[in-house]
Amino acid sequence: MASERDEREEWTERADDVPVTGEELLETFPGYHAEGDVSVLELPGRDAATVPNRSVLRPELAGALEHDLYTHQAAALEALAAGENVCVATSTSSGKTLVYALQIARNVLEARASGEESTAYVCYPTKALSRDQERELNDVFADLGVDVTVRVYDGDTERGETRRRIREEADVVITNFAGVNTYLHDHDRWARFFRACDLVVIDESHTYTGVHGMHVAWIVRRLERVLEYYGAAPQFVLTSATIGNPGEHSEALTREPVTVVDEDGSPQGPRDLVLWNPPPRVREDDRSGLEAEDGVDDGETPDADHERLPATVEAPRIFSHLTYHDAQTLLFTPSRKLAELSVKRATKHRSDREYYYANPNSRGDLEPYHAGHSRRKRHATEYGLKTGRLDGVASTNALELGINVGEMDATVQLGYPGQRQSFWQQIGRAGRDEKRALSVLVAEHRTLDQYVVSNPDYLLDEDVEDAVVDPGNDAVFAQHFRCAADELAVDGDDVGTFASRDRLERAVEMWRRAGQVRGHLETGVSYTGAPRPQTDVSLYATTSEEYEVRLADGVDDRHDPEMEPLARERVLRDFHEGAIRLHEGRQYEVTNVVHDVPNPHVIVRPVDVDYYTRSRSEVTILDAVSEESREIGDFTLHYGRGTVLVYHGAYDEVAVHGGRTKTAGVPTGNPPLEIETQLCWLEVPADVERALIEKYRDWCVPDMDGGDAAHVGYAGGLHAAEHATIGVAPLELTLDKRDLGGLATLTIDSHLAGASDGEHGGESEGPRSFAAAKAVVKAQADALEREPASGWFVYDGIEGGLGFSRAIYENFEAVAARAREHVAGCDCGRVDGCPACVMDDQCGNDNQPLHRQAAVDVFDQLLGNERRDALEAYLPDDGHGGQRRPPLFYS
Amino acid sequence: MAERDGVRLLALPPSVALERSIPALEDVRGYFDPDGVVIPGPRRKPRAVARARRVFVGPVFHPPLADAGPVTRDELDGFPIVTVQRGAMLEDAADALEGALSIVDHVVLVCDDVTTTVRPTALETRLEYAAELAAAVPDDGSGVTVLTGGLPADYDETWHLERTGEPLGVGRDPVADLETGDDVVSLRIHGTGAVEGHGDARSISALSLSRDGAVAVETVDADAFGLEAVTGVGPKTANRLEQEGITTRRRLLETDVETLRSLPGIGRDRAERMLAHAEVLETGEPRRLTDEPLPGENWERPPLCLDVETDGLSPTIVWQVGVYDPLEDCHRAFLEDSNPDDPRSVLQAFLDWLLGVHPDRALLTWNGWRFDYRHLGAFINRYLPGYAEEWDRVPKLDCYLWAVRGRNALLPGRTNRLADVSSALGYEHAGTGLDGAATAAAYERFTRTGEVLEWDRHRAYCEDDCRALWHVYDRLRDAPRAEAVSSESTSERAGGKTDQTGLSDF
Repeated sequence: MASERDEREEWTERADDVPVTGEELLETFPGYHAEGDVSVLELPGRDAATVPNRSVLRPELAGALEHDLYTHQAAALEALAAGENVCVATSTSSGKTLVYALQIARNVLEARASGEESTAYVCYPTKALSRDQERELNDVFADLGVDVTVRVYDGDTERGETRRRIREEADVVITNFAGVNTYLHDHDRWARFFRACDLVVIDESHTYTGVHGMHVAWIVRRLERVLEYYGAAPQFVLTSATIGNPGEHSEALTREPVTVVDEDGSPQGPRDLVLWNPPPRVREDDRSGLEAEDGVDDGETPDADHERLPATVEAPRIFSHLTYHDAQTLLFTPSRKLAELSVKRATKHRSDREYYYANPNSRGDLEPYHAGHSRRKRHATEYGLKTGRLDGVASTNALELGINVGEMDATVQLGYPGQRQSFWQQIGRAGRDEKRALSVLVAEHRTLDQYVVSNPDYLLDEDVEDAVVDPGNDAVFAQHFRCAADELAVDGDDVGTFASRDRLERAVEMWRRAGQVRGHLETGVSYTGAPRPQTDVSLYATTSEEYEVRLADGVDDRHDPEMEPLARERVLRDFHEGAIRLHEGRQYEVTNVVHDVPNPHVIVRPVDVDYYTRSRSEVTILDAVSEESREIGDFTLHYGRGTVLVYHGAYDEVAVHGGRTKTAGVPTGNPPLEIETQLCWLEVPADVERALIEKYRDWCVPDMDGGDAAHVGYAGGLHAAEHATIGVAPLELTLDKRDLGGLATLTIDSHLAGASDGEHGGESEGPRSFAAAKAVVKAQADALEREPASGWFVYDGIEGGLGFSRAIYENFEAVAARAREHVAGCDCGRVDGCPACVMDDQCGNDNQPLHRQAAVDVFDQLLGNERRDALEAYLPDDGHGGQRRPPLFYS
Repeated sequence: MAERDGVRLLALPPSVALERSIPALEDVRGYFDPDGVVIPGPRRKPRAVARARRVFVGPVFHPPLADAGPVTRDELDGFPIVTVQRGAMLEDAADALEGALSIVDHVVLVCDDVTTTVRPTALETRLEYAAELAAAVPDDGSGVTVLTGGLPADYDETWHLERTGEPLGVGRDPVADLETGDDVVSLRIHGTGAVEGHGDARSISALSLSRDGAVAVETVDADAFGLEAVTGVGPKTANRLEQEGITTRRRLLETDVETLRSLPGIGRDRAERMLAHAEVLETGEPRRLTDEPLPGENWERPPLCLDVETDGLSPTIVWQVGVYDPLEDCHRAFLEDSNPDDPRSVLQAFLDWLLGVHPDRALLTWNGWRFDYRHLGAFINRYLPGYAEEWDRVPKLDCYLWAVRGRNALLPGRTNRLADVSSALGYEHAGTGLDGAATAAAYERFTRTGEVLEWDRHRAYCEDDCRALWHVYDRLRDAPRAEAVSSESTSERAGGKTDQTGLSDF
């Protein structure tokens, strides 16, 4: 033992290693952890693969570079030289910026040689990143000795003369897509810049997925048609974190063929990856005061099922511990508030244990970092990290994207960030040159985190999630169509490039009827509605209907929360009358919600109360129409469209301290949210269903209405399978679980478009009530002639859809296999599961009924893991008992 | 006002009727001189109706109230107006419509439930109560104009419907080549509701309905009337003035600066400015606020007044360039009347003339940096790049930029549109019956179908705008200077120098 210790001490003293290794962390961290809760993986490093500069670059550029190019940089530059568009999908700090910087330099030198100009439009996802990269690019061009004017042009750029000069003089303009969206209106002022544009850069392109990705894809298409008008045909460079489908994703964004460069030639040091499951919670009265306070402060609901300490408590302690041991550490938190709170907790962790953290020379200078801070404060923090003045920073994902803060010794993640792509991007922040780095993932007690820590292979797998961008959402297309017609007349030249003829013609007709455009596709369609349709585009929602947040009359302006406008979906879910919302650390109560006026708005006032609110939700699906279907064994999977009603009809007031429900079921007064969207659904074959109903006939949920019916066990299986499908979907696809919803049902047919009611029946009557919608489903179920199929729906929770259901339809087997593995593998030992496997905090039915084993049975039959005869024993002898099933459904 | 062949209906949004002061509404009455008033539904607003009746002379229509029954037929100066309370009752109006059309050629049907519903997820816009409308109107619908508060007053589309109400399309073109050709109903649907983009105060529109079915609309900000029409008077100040018994602009003019200054928040500059503008509005005489010269006024020769016509707001061609030369009192029009696919020739002809005959003259426009110069520049760059440099050198002046955005002058007129400003300054318009949108739509139709325009009429429209511009410029040149009111505004001024390139940024 002693010798082992000595060996390790010797090892840590070696200059090229991290101050603390994974094993040392385990050994030195005060407090209990059970065998198996923490695992340390040692990831090997990788040597650099380089190419001599001169084989790729002209001598004047090659000579100016200090180092040889990595192979991926060289490959990208060669593809660009051959006129191709390129997507560079390699690791953090692998020198992606240098690729387009060199391409810009090449273009500029070449153009100037013949007395011309060459410009580049560079788009970053955030304004903070734009400023950082402006410095970075300027440094590169200075090193190269090429005179290139790089300027940021975004919402913070001073209006008037400054802007005019940038448009008229800059070689490189750095901006973001919200900016491009609005600047396109005045494209004539950019005539010089656009005419000379040879390169468009989309940096961190993997961040453009879902709704936001769709908007960006359309803004890029609008930019392309304007550039074409000015005779420019620029190349694209996209840089991306490692994702599963960089080529497909880039092509969806740009509508151009793209060459993918993803053979990473940059060197990487070895890394200790620690997967850390926090220890079980000690009993309430045994807890130190620290956790008791902490646990409630961030809206944590102490739940009977919460058997482990939350990551929100454990991660700051590890962060604190590492910085004490001289490892400069970045802690990634899922929210701004937690970034702030984590610094406090980390500091308190140390001061509460002075006996342990006794070294007076270890300062422990920690700072929070997030986009809510002023630019000055953020710069100071970035600088503090770079120079080593700060020992640690707790940051939101604001530091995940390429802002240069130098390289850390260690990272800690408070919870799994949801995506492998994000996970790798964040831990890539640790690792000085080729030294050993340390990364700790502290798991939360929920599906994804628990899956990841118990299946480390998943993280190490080569596969990464696909990024989904679906330009098929007509609601988003329709908005950008108006903008396009405002920028340049939409005409025959746009057929096939901007959209298909049919789609363009339908959009023209729709907007003509609405009085918003004039003209025809043959001769040109102009926008004639209220000025600047671009300002109506909300880059994070599919419809332009937004609610302003206003302060109640008589409240001092300094209390103004200055919230961004809210999408209608959010208002209906979280901003009902009486809701308590926390914003930037302050409590606000919603006092009024005004829906049906030209400027819908939400009125709030600051309050100080000891409860928060949680809205309940109910979901049903109507008028689903199958557009495509396929067989998986004798299961049938459908993809199509339908109407989803989500009703946040009531809410609970929950005590901040202790998490007890103080008042239950207060009506919200909000109407249901009706979304027309994309969905996919699985139909379970009748014999599987019959057998499973019999198999679980005796299982019941005592305190649930109708919880003793014969179908409840099987229904619980479908419900659990639905939750699990959605829960693991982010393992395969880049999506936010909140963008997906589901519904398990015994009567799929009653949710399908019935032949009885006309195509547009009832639609003109405005928003329907939820009770009426349920009645329709029930009536349809009663009227069914054949025995309906059972199964579950998965839908996109956004008007018009996002392409997620479509992607799940296409990858259903993979998603189902993960779900099965996860549900079966959870060690909660409970029939109805736990938050780590099948329970979902957004469940509209209070997580009832749920049956894990029944879900596993369904998955096994679907995936062919089990032979059908395994169920035969359960099939009733007399065919089927003929008992009519109730139209039960659970979201 | 010219002699009318028809009636003028004022569309007064309920919030405007309720929130504007009585003197302001009286000012509205004086300005529009309507024959009747519509309070747009579909919500019932009895108090707005009562207030409108108090001020206006003619009948006040508000179908949701149905105070004279769910379906009524009135006559306004011999012009039949049928109102229907609810969309579901439209078919009950069939007899009233038929009866009216047996006497006259055109009838107005007012029903506020008629509206459009846009469903972007389905790329579809529907007309609510289309079936009921199609069933209610006699013949092919061409004798009926539907007015509805369910749509803004700038909505004006002709819907072609099957008799079942199934929409076939919209537009002025007749529906051709349809199997159902015999039984197509074409209905002009015109909004009466508040128009977007007029701020919190909303807008007021006047609809001029001709006996031949033509509809023309004029929309003005609701706060361009009464005291608030005066620059520097917002709702709060108007309120305070009213409390002091100053309820009209005429009364305001009779008030001295010292009295105004005694009101909270009003300094000398503001008081003087208020009085100056009140006088401009009352007398129709413009007033210059600064010593800033009117662009080009000190030059040896006056600028050439320019106006261009395109085929739409996002043009594919600038098909007419009109230039009025005040020195010779003559107008030149450059026109592409044969080949709409050729955006080059007309520009080339214009430039050759301009650079050849008038190499030393400046151009003058009304808000040209937003439209005329913007599009000419873009088209020259694209189609005649060889001329781009020469074109850049031509001095380009903008009367609007100087007067309105640069705040160098106070103008009468309730809007800053050239037509309003020039009328208020006494310019007699030629009365072509056209506006920018109509002339663009006509050219677009010519491009698409070959249907020839009445070229003379369209030429006259463009010439009229050029001459109106000169009228405004000329009046501004001779306008008296207000004294000592400039200090407040100088810092906000844009441009001012003769080489105006300005335009605030976005």
